[in-house]
Amino acid sequence: YLMSGQASHPQANGNMGNFSSGDGQVHENPEWEKARQALASINKSQSSAKTAQAGQFQPAVTDSAAIQQQQQQQPQQYYPWYQQTQQHYPGYTYPYNYYYPVGPPPPVPGMEDQSTGYPSQSQPPPPATPQQPQSPTTSEKPPPPPPPPIPPPPNSQYPPPPSQNAYSANNSMQYPHGDPNQMQAYNHSQGRPNYGQGFQAQHTYQPSQNTSQQPGQYVPGLGRGEANKNKNQKQGQQLWHRMKQAPGTSSVKFNIHKRPYQVQCSSMSNQSFPPGEQPSGLNPTPSSPSSASAAPGGAQTRPQDWPQAMKEYVQRCFTACETEEDKDRTEKVLKEVLQDRLKDGSAYTIDWTHEPLPELKVKQSRWESVASQRSSDGSISRGGSAVVASPRGRGGAHRLGHYRNIFSQRSPSSSSSRSSSRSPSPSHGRNRDRSNQRHRRSDSGSQSDSSISSDLRPQLSRRSQRGGRGRGNDRDRGRGGGVRGRGRGGKANRGRRNMDDSNPAVGKKRKGGNAGLDFHDPNREAKKQSRAARFHKQLRSEPLVLSINSLDLPDGTQEGLSWEDCPIVGTCQDITKSYLRLTCAPDPSTVRPVHVLRKSLQAVKIHWKTHHDYTYACEQMKSIRQDLTVQGVRTDFTVEVYECHARIALEKGDHEEFNQCQTQLKALYKDNPSENIGEFTAYRLLYYIFTKNSGDLTTELVYLTPALRADVCVAHALALRAAWALGNYRRFFKLYKEAPRMASYLIDKFVERERKVALRAIAKTFRPDLPVQYVQSNLGFSCLDSCMAFLTGLGVTFYPCDPQKIDCKTSTAALAAS
Amino acid sequence: MAHITINQYLQQVYDAIDNHDGSFCAELLSFKHPHVANPRLQLASPEEKCQQLLEPPYDEMVAAHLRCTYAVSNHDFVEAYKFQTALPVMFSVTLDLRIFANSAEQQLQKKGKGQPGEMLEKAAEQLMSCFRVCASDNRAGIEDSKKWGMMFLSNQLFKIYFKINKLHLCKPLIRAIDSSNLKNDYSPAQKVTYKYYVGRKAMFDSDFKPAEEFLSYAFHHCHGSSQKNKRMILIYLLPVKMLLGHMPTHQLLRKYDLMQFADVTKSVSEGNLLLLNEALSKHETFFIRCGIFLILEKLKIITYRNLFKKVYLLLRTHQLPLDAFLVSLKMMQLDDVDIDEVQCILANLIYMGHIKGYISHQHQKLVVSKQNPFPPLSSVS
Repeated sequence: YLMSGQASHPQANGNMGNFSSGDGQVHENPEWEKARQALASINKSQSSAKTAQAGQFQPAVTDSAAIQQQQQQQPQQYYPWYQQTQQHYPGYTYPYNYYYPVGPPPPVPGMEDQSTGYPSQSQPPPPATPQQPQSPTTSEKPPPPPPPPIPPPPNSQYPPPPSQNAYSANNSMQYPHGDPNQMQAYNHSQGRPNYGQGFQAQHTYQPSQNTSQQPGQYVPGLGRGEANKNKNQKQGQQLWHRMKQAPGTSSVKFNIHKRPYQVQCSSMSNQSFPPGEQPSGLNPTPSSPSSASAAPGGAQTRPQDWPQAMKEYVQRCFTACETEEDKDRTEKVLKEVLQDRLKDGSAYTIDWTHEPLPELKVKQSRWESVASQRSSDGSISRGGSAVVASPRGRGGAHRLGHYRNIFSQRSPSSSSSRSSSRSPSPSHGRNRDRSNQRHRRSDSGSQSDSSISSDLRPQLSRRSQRGGRGRGNDRDRGRGGGVRGRGRGGKANRGRRNMDDSNPAVGKKRKGGNAGLDFHDPNREAKKQSRAARFHKQLRSEPLVLSINSLDLPDGTQEGLSWEDCPIVGTCQDITKSYLRLTCAPDPSTVRPVHVLRKSLQAVKIHWKTHHDYTYACEQMKSIRQDLTVQGVRTDFTVEVYECHARIALEKGDHEEFNQCQTQLKALYKDNPSENIGEFTAYRLLYYIFTKNSGDLTTELVYLTPALRADVCVAHALALRAAWALGNYRRFFKLYKEAPRMASYLIDKFVERERKVALRAIAKTFRPDLPVQYVQSNLGFSCLDSCMAFLTGLGVTFYPCDPQKIDCKTSTAALAAS
Repeated sequence: MAHITINQYLQQVYDAIDNHDGSFCAELLSFKHPHVANPRLQLASPEEKCQQLLEPPYDEMVAAHLRCTYAVSNHDFVEAYKFQTALPVMFSVTLDLRIFANSAEQQLQKKGKGQPGEMLEKAAEQLMSCFRVCASDNRAGIEDSKKWGMMFLSNQLFKIYFKINKLHLCKPLIRAIDSSNLKNDYSPAQKVTYKYYVGRKAMFDSDFKPAEEFLSYAFHHCHGSSQKNKRMILIYLLPVKMLLGHMPTHQLLRKYDLMQFADVTKSVSEGNLLLLNEALSKHETFFIRCGIFLILEKLKIITYRNLFKKVYLLLRTHQLPLDAFLVSLKMMQLDDVDIDEVQCILANLIYMGHIKGYISHQHQKLVVSKQNPFPPLSSVS
């Protein structure tokens, strides 16, 4: 048909000729996309049919649009013509093309160019729905429909009179654009997509759009179109990456082009045809000779010849869909099914009205695989899913894998590109459910090895199946394989599974034939679910992507933003600022720059010295710290701030703030050595003594450099630690009294504790008595009174005759009790 | 094995899972297996392949593993992964996880990035979740219960916790294992490891008696060929033993290349405080790195005891002037010691039971028991 198209084109198009080449590339292989579109349009038409008619869009039309329309009318003449031709293919032709590269040799880039003939005419425009208006339908209806979010009106399928095309063309475009992903999916499923070609095709296609716009017809749409184009290209590229490996898809890619035509038809059809006939739109008449020649399969599959019942069946299938994904899947399935049916003629004998709707959810993977490998097997059975069983080998499994990924990626885009007018109707839903059940039952019946139908005893049968594969639960495992003999091994079972999901009617059992990598198990989903239930966890709903994508993580680039990464510089000039915990990105106008902060620090210090108002000081210090953090300032000044705050907090016994400062200081000292590093290291050591954390203490010791050990504070802390470790209270309290800087504040925290321990030893050691004096001097009491208070507080008893002497024997018991 | 394709590899994994061949499967997922050097398996994004061939959760595990081989081949250790179930597999994966977390940690440290212990803590979280899964597996029969994984996991967790000084986190693990009815039935290797860590923990908690018990068990049951492990156990067992009065022989120290302890041992038994201080400072780095410096420091108390015992033996009296002890300490070049400190040291010794007796403050004398004034160390504390 390519050839013929070309031939016809020049004449028809006249001036448009130049563009044809660009378009042509795109147009080559109509098969799948067309079918898809057709199906989609049916669907849409149905949903929208009742409500929206062409008229609906008119109001939105603008003058300019009208003009454009008129301009377009010229080109429109041709549309009908090739629409018909092209529409032949949707469903059925595909196989032929695919297998016997008869007509249009598998798209070779060169060839594509030739094929262009048609496309150029259609030029249709840019994709997005909104643009519909520009390409108003026929001249009769000048007012182009406004960008209705809703896809073309219902009955559109009908290859209508020539005039209407323009309008629909726009509509149709929207598909290609919106669905690039879908396309990809297709390619994948088909297994040997020649990816590169596909990609190219898409690419080229878009340019053609541009050119088409030049004529001025689509002016308004231009911007949009371009945007879409970009999008398309992008997607195309994605596609490319993904699909590289699978050569041979080529046939698919070009479909995009053709969609437009189809859609056009459909849009037109709304008006002309009664809803009931909608389905027929799927199979536009193939009458044009060119088309016939091009697509060998055409003869068999003429849409016109489709049985009405079958059309209705298609319609039913779509109405049963609840989500976009469902529809996509249904499309694929139907394409397969209908092709097969038509090919072998069963389409005319089947009782379509009783044909079960395809089962979508459970078997999607299966559909995919079937689609990918055309079954050459003429015996189409009508059972279950109405899908022909096809031998699936490893390839299928691989593809399946692809599919999983693609699918999830695809869904968003497809849903967005398609307008939303299809609303699920409850009754349909029920319908589908019922049919699903039916399928399942038949499937399970075919599993000869599990005697119990999965429907009735899903749990059981599932388990037994699993047993053979080593995934069984414990009991199964214990028994060594469960119901199925293990001897047969996993492969055999897996092979069996393949059988299971293929149509029961086919019935030839292949055991282990395609062992290996095939995973189409009708119950797989169910199994997964049950397994998930067992483990109380959600099944992976998305393809597995490890969360550790980060080979570059080591540079720390992915570790989340640190303040250094996005520095801001404050502009606030206030010396004082109250502290508020940040809940959002900082506003520079409320952040003080460093030079202001220096003043702030001074102010706080003075205020602290004069007022000793810790609440105020702490708040001010925190706000200073915050401003520094936010600006990523880590300098000597930062160190100074933290040291200052640490000291103030220490003085007031604010552990929390002190420790925060200590943590920060430890990190800061690495880059900003301060003269106080020894002091704060000592504090850290002392703090570990306080917490009795010998592990951290040891760690700290590891990192003490000789220079640091020589530091007065550190040396003191180390000596104190040694005394503490040996219970040498004499030395401990001597050091306590000599504590440099603010160390005594820290020691204060555990001095009582150590006194108690020491006193126990003392009371046990000395007999018969001990002057309080000794305790006072050895345990570091500054005066006798405080010592006496401490002793009496612990229940120490004194000799009645000499209150200055401790009765050690009786005190020992009291101390042991305390 | 070194040149199989990804498909062959995955097929092997699948078969292994299929046949319940856990150990082989574990091998296939271990980094000790040669396949990790196979460039064909070093994929940056193996997820897809794995997904096709294996079912969850195995696909994820294997994918993570392959991803890891890829990362490792690029000398990039900052990777971590998840996993579940299948004990042998889990064992090797967790082991790798910990090792990688370690490497990652080191790598991060070198770059000065990240909080110390961050990676390890993350790994510990993962392990902990596994541990919980295992511990809560009450349904399965005893012979294939996931509880068999508890000890292995807790051992791995111990390693991490010891590394990041979070010893307090060990407690719940120990309690869980202790309350487990399987605790005596784990494999010897696991038990040795477990006792080793529990013993260390007890040592750091100053529970020296139990520490000696655990560590001795570990030492005696440790496989004879793992000299390295035995040495590691000894590093902790020796100080504990010495604190309890059991001095190691020279041959033992030589056999396990622990001569750093030689001087310590000698000085402690001789009561030679001077030598002890020298020995400790000489090998301070080693001891600190082993985390036993603070323990060895406590040997000073034993040394005091031995020193004072000599004084007692010299004076041959039960009423010992405190000055005599002061002189002995001065002899050990502790110049800043005063009589108060002598009393303090004696008080501690008496309080801890190393000396039976009392101090008369009035007379400045130590009065010791006529019977066994210096009881043997092993009977004390």
